[in-house]
Amino acid sequence: MKISSIRYLVHQGFKGIWKNRMMSFASFCIMLVSLLMVGISLLLALNINRIIGGIEDKSEVVVQIKDGCTEEQIDELKNKIGALPNVSTIEFYSKEKAWESMVKDMSDEEKELFHYADDNFLPDTFRLTVHDIKQMTQTTTQIDTIDNVESTRSPTELTDVLISIRRVLGIISGAIVVALIIVCLIIISNTTRASVFARRKEINIMKYVGAKNSFIRIPFFIEGMVVGLLAAAGALGLTMFAYDGVYSIFNDDFKLWSVLGVNNLYSFDDLFMPVTIAYAVAGALIGAVGTSFSTGKHLKV
Amino acid sequence: MVEFKDVSVTYSSGVDALNKINLKINDGDFAFVVGPSGAGKSTLIKLVLKEIDATSGEVIVNGFNLRKLRRRKVPALRRTIGVVFQDFRLIPTMTVYENVAFVLRVIDAPAKYIRSRVPYVINLVGLSSKAKSYPTELSGGEQQRVALARALVNDPQLIIADEPTGNIDPALSYEIVGLLKGINECGTTILMVTHEHDLVRYFGGRIININSGSIAFDEVIGGTNENQ
Repeated sequence: MKISSIRYLVHQGFKGIWKNRMMSFASFCIMLVSLLMVGISLLLALNINRIIGGIEDKSEVVVQIKDGCTEEQIDELKNKIGALPNVSTIEFYSKEKAWESMVKDMSDEEKELFHYADDNFLPDTFRLTVHDIKQMTQTTTQIDTIDNVESTRSPTELTDVLISIRRVLGIISGAIVVALIIVCLIIISNTTRASVFARRKEINIMKYVGAKNSFIRIPFFIEGMVVGLLAAAGALGLTMFAYDGVYSIFNDDFKLWSVLGVNNLYSFDDLFMPVTIAYAVAGALIGAVGTSFSTGKHLKV
Repeated sequence: MVEFKDVSVTYSSGVDALNKINLKINDGDFAFVVGPSGAGKSTLIKLVLKEIDATSGEVIVNGFNLRKLRRRKVPALRRTIGVVFQDFRLIPTMTVYENVAFVLRVIDAPAKYIRSRVPYVINLVGLSSKAKSYPTELSGGEQQRVALARALVNDPQLIIADEPTGNIDPALSYEIVGLLKGINECGTTILMVTHEHDLVRYFGGRIININSGSIAFDEVIGGTNENQ
């Protein structure tokens, strides 16, 4: 195709937006809202995932060692547990250290009370983290069978809840994204149908004089793509504005949230490039693909 | 060249539109296609443009065997044909110049060629002074001349005129057919469908009369204008 033809087709595409400005504006608004909703649900899912990930990383398994084990036996046990495939880190926590730590956190009255305790009744322990939290229960069962292990403690109920939350969240955000993309495609396709219908005479003549289908489609394609990109730019601006507001509430204003790990949010600077690319690609694709659904019918001459 | 070999068309409704037609229109011919409504004239045109396919038989247009022609090759066939419709089918939002230039843009012609060819063809149909006018500002006869310029601009081997005088004054009809005759004298094959027997009698030439899907009459007659 010659450059002059490409220029002509691009010009026709832009002309189409202006000629059908009311419909183009309607498409723009609907795409803007849809992209915004898709973007917000994805950002929400991304951040909740990160918060849950942070909580998961802090989940430890505590292995209580049988009383009276020698140093060699403890070392051997450490090696055995450390060799398990799901164990990420393992740290020995002596009964003396545990006692010190416990006493440090006590009030003066409590300290007085424990002063009379004649022996350190706390056990030696290992504190370990795992690679895959989903296999935590399996790993603790394996550890329980090893010699010199008195018992294990792990937050399995919490991890089960976190895993369920992640799964449900993934399904919900996936469903929202798919539903909104379908809605966008239908609306864009209907808008183009109106624009194609208005130009059916022109298309008919084009077909009679030997225009290829691609030549007829390109202006509509450009029209849809430009509207999609404009909507993407609008959605990006609004997302940036809204996200920064929410981010400052959770990250700066309420330090309390940090207890729950909610200060672990992504900043918009981290997400700017992926969000921009995702909006631009989604906007352009939805706009362009939406138009191709509706031009097909009028090309059969 | 247009050739029909044992061509039949039966629509999905069961109507037999054409029945084993054999017809040959040579390069440089001028042929009138006449016949009552529903006789099969429009079906004949649709076959030539490959809007529809023959149920049986073979149609050859400008070297293309339409039975074997793939859908994506149809634009190549149509670029060898110019079409003039009864209702002009001009684009109202485009000027006379743009309506004509549009055809060349569609076939990806160089911009320089468009700038020289379009004014030449508009001049040929006598509308140079109206090049910047919009179709709604023109009379029926002028609009049909624009349609003629549009059919002609691509220098086609064949022009199909589907009742080109149906929507214009009788006096202007003679002017339009006169233009078509002039184009034909330059070597373009013309296939003109019409209901107007007076016009046919006046200009004469090859007359193909279609009736109930068959060729009832295919002969060359002398025109009354030749006797004047």
